[in-house]
Amino acid sequence: MNRQIRRLGIGLLVLYAALFVQLNVIQVLRADTYNDHPENSRAVIRDFSRPRGQILAADGTVLARSVPVDSPFKLQREYPEGELFAHVTGYFSLNAGTDGVERTYNDALAGHTGERIEDIGEILLGEPRTADVSLTIPADVQRVARDALGATRGSVVAVDPRDGSVLALWSFPSYDPNVLSSVDIDAAQEARERLLADEANPLLARSYRETYFPGSTFKVVTAAAGLASGSVTTTSPVYPTSDAYVPPLTSQPIRNFGGATCGGAFPDILRVSCNTAFAQMGVDIGAETLVTKAEEFGFNDVPPLDLPAAAASPIGDVASFQQNTPVLAMTAIGQNAVRSTPLQMALVAAGVANGGDVMVPHVMREVRDNEGRVIDSWEPASWTSAVRPDVAATLTDAMRRVVEQGTATRLAVPGVPTAGKTGTAQLGNGLSHAWIVGFAPADAPRVAVAVIVEAQPGASEQTGGQVAAPIAQTVLSAALAANPE
Amino acid sequence: MIPVVQRVRRNTELGLIVLGAVVTAGLYTLASLGTTANLPVDIGPFLGVVLALLAGAHVATRRLAPASDGVLLPLAGLLNGLGYVWIARLDPDLAALQAVWTAVGITAYVVTLVLVPKARDLDRYRYTFMLIGIALLLLPLVPGIGKTVNGARIWLQLGPLSFQPGEFAKIVLAVFFASYLVEKRELLGMAGHRVGPVMLPELRHFGPVLLAWGASLLVMVLERDLGSSLLFFALFLVMLWVATERLSYLLVGGLLFAGGAVAAASAFGHVRQRVDIWLDPWAAATDQGFQLVQATFALAWGGIAGTGPGLGNPDRIPLVETDFIFAAIGEELGLLGSAGVLVTFLLMVGTGLRIALAAHTPFNKLLAAGLTAILGIQAFIIIGGVIRVVPLTGITLPFVSYGGSSLVANYVLLALLIRISADNAESELQAP
Repeated sequence: MNRQIRRLGIGLLVLYAALFVQLNVIQVLRADTYNDHPENSRAVIRDFSRPRGQILAADGTVLARSVPVDSPFKLQREYPEGELFAHVTGYFSLNAGTDGVERTYNDALAGHTGERIEDIGEILLGEPRTADVSLTIPADVQRVARDALGATRGSVVAVDPRDGSVLALWSFPSYDPNVLSSVDIDAAQEARERLLADEANPLLARSYRETYFPGSTFKVVTAAAGLASGSVTTTSPVYPTSDAYVPPLTSQPIRNFGGATCGGAFPDILRVSCNTAFAQMGVDIGAETLVTKAEEFGFNDVPPLDLPAAAASPIGDVASFQQNTPVLAMTAIGQNAVRSTPLQMALVAAGVANGGDVMVPHVMREVRDNEGRVIDSWEPASWTSAVRPDVAATLTDAMRRVVEQGTATRLAVPGVPTAGKTGTAQLGNGLSHAWIVGFAPADAPRVAVAVIVEAQPGASEQTGGQVAAPIAQTVLSAALAANPE
Repeated sequence: MIPVVQRVRRNTELGLIVLGAVVTAGLYTLASLGTTANLPVDIGPFLGVVLALLAGAHVATRRLAPASDGVLLPLAGLLNGLGYVWIARLDPDLAALQAVWTAVGITAYVVTLVLVPKARDLDRYRYTFMLIGIALLLLPLVPGIGKTVNGARIWLQLGPLSFQPGEFAKIVLAVFFASYLVEKRELLGMAGHRVGPVMLPELRHFGPVLLAWGASLLVMVLERDLGSSLLFFALFLVMLWVATERLSYLLVGGLLFAGGAVAAASAFGHVRQRVDIWLDPWAAATDQGFQLVQATFALAWGGIAGTGPGLGNPDRIPLVETDFIFAAIGEELGLLGSAGVLVTFLLMVGTGLRIALAAHTPFNKLLAAGLTAILGIQAFIIIGGVIRVVPLTGITLPFVSYGGSSLVANYVLLALLIRISADNAESELQAP
């Protein structure tokens, strides 16, 4: 029997060797695969329990920080400014994941940057290597944007045209990221479901994730296309003074707001926002010229904003306008086949302000490690080249006149030359979006702005100038004060 | 000579128990720190009880079996302590119960040593044990007292008390098999006819094999307990093989079991489901495969060194305190800890088989081999199930899992192995 007993021992040894091999496969060889598996929540829980850097406004205001709590996760994310920066910082949620800066700069905040490790002690002591992310947005400018827009659905976007720094990124309604990021998972889930069910969709960052008809603000792009192509100058053509323009292939005329009559050369038709003239300009220069110019401003492309899921602003492709001049005419005045995010229209203004170059928009200014050393700072870069400097100068002159004597007088910042363009995008139900884009100072621009106030009653070209311009003016003033030369 | 051996063995045992206690207390402290970030005020009242009980077992062994092996008890104590730490870390309420079960288990250990002064005494009650074994096996099927938990009808409910008689049946049946096979081994081992290289015994001698096979299938089908079914049949085959020295029994029996398993897989949904999730748990990662997938995540997250006691998330695994406690230990102690558990079981198996080799009577030899096989095979079945080497069958990890019946039964098993080793030493004194 002893031989069998020894063999039994060998047999069991072989079985246990098989267990050991499989343990090595699971715990070592394939561990990374399992750790990254989508059903595996351990990585999220780990990040939740770990120290995490702060998110700071440009002026040092704390926008997000981790505070100790009595829960298995030890730490909870806190957003002292509540809803003010929700669409910028995003949230850090166990059940909803992450959004905003919390997602884009997760590696820096969580300390996964792989920065130099100076001594072995740091590894052994497990000293957190988290970093703080400073943003380009001053808290007071953001606050001014929120207060100026008030409790009306819409967005306010301000950027520094020179380097693409975002100075305000507000949209109403917003939400409180604190509840979504709670370690009380049930409370967080309930809050999330309530927000998802809300008809006003507060989770939606309208400023860079929602597109609208840009209305007459898009005439800046149409004008840029005309001027750049050489077929439009400040003196010719002189568009006929009329109350209606009938594009080829249709009998449906395009009319001016309130049945007004207008016409003339380029600067004048922009000043009064003449629909008939710009519709004709669009048809005259052709779909290819218009669409190409819009794309050179960034349309049909996702802006390289350092926030997740920015939306592209679509314009129909050239082929879709063939044999469809009525749609082309409508598109030239910002209706029908073109839609834009508020961010994209702010970038159009910024591109004109910056001599034709659209800079990469960004909210990150710099990243500092936990000892205050700068480990990353934003390098300004050009996104697209929209127009030549001389075309930009011509457009700037014309947009100054819009503010001085045209539809955007309420945009004027006292003592500062201001350029702008209003818009009123009709929704066809008696309501319209009130728009304005602009920048200042017109001779050395430091701030470009876009404002949309959604679904305002009335459909007059005055709507943008009356409703949106004062908001933009307030934000421009605040941003100029906060963003000196 | 013997007093020297006795003293060395007992002092070794005491030293090893102290070592195991230090390891257990250290892990307990770390796990407490890990889960609550500070030391609980009542640090380990139950841990103290568990360690004191082990010391009591040691004292009892000094008196009742002074010449016995000095390694088995510390190894069992280490596994018990390890399991206790993780049960306490996962569910403090269960930990209090487990401490009580440890007390009952060690009492059973001492009582067994008292009641069985010589292992050969068991040989006398062969058929009594057979009847008890069959009764224990079939009791859960009796209406009124049988109870179904998690799909398996393996529980007895007597008033407030519930236990799994199958845990005890395996020991009782091992004693019966040893006794029966020692008597019949010559007969069963007689060569019948040769088929190729394999010598087949006469066909009629396969009767007992068929009987055991039928009984194990009955357990599998009626009680839906795949793990116990596999364990009983494997135990019988191994003991038959060791007793008769005929490999053919092992082969034919293995084929029979494989055939039965395949038939069961095609006939019964719950068996087929086990096989399906064994082959691919990822396809059902959120329902049937959830447990296995979560166990895999836990082990993978542990990596080589583990998250540290109390710092992992093993509570995401259903039944983690019982069937899946190995995954919790593997997550928080890493490959080092999970391999450590494997090595501990291998050491117990090695020691048990060494006792079997040294035994002076065929009965003692066979019983020691059988009891060791139970321990080794049961640990393999459940660890292999958790890490997908074999299909998962719900069965406890001896000494580690939460569970009163399992703990008490395994301490009885341990006492019998200790008794046989003491018999060995005493025979050596008289023999030379």
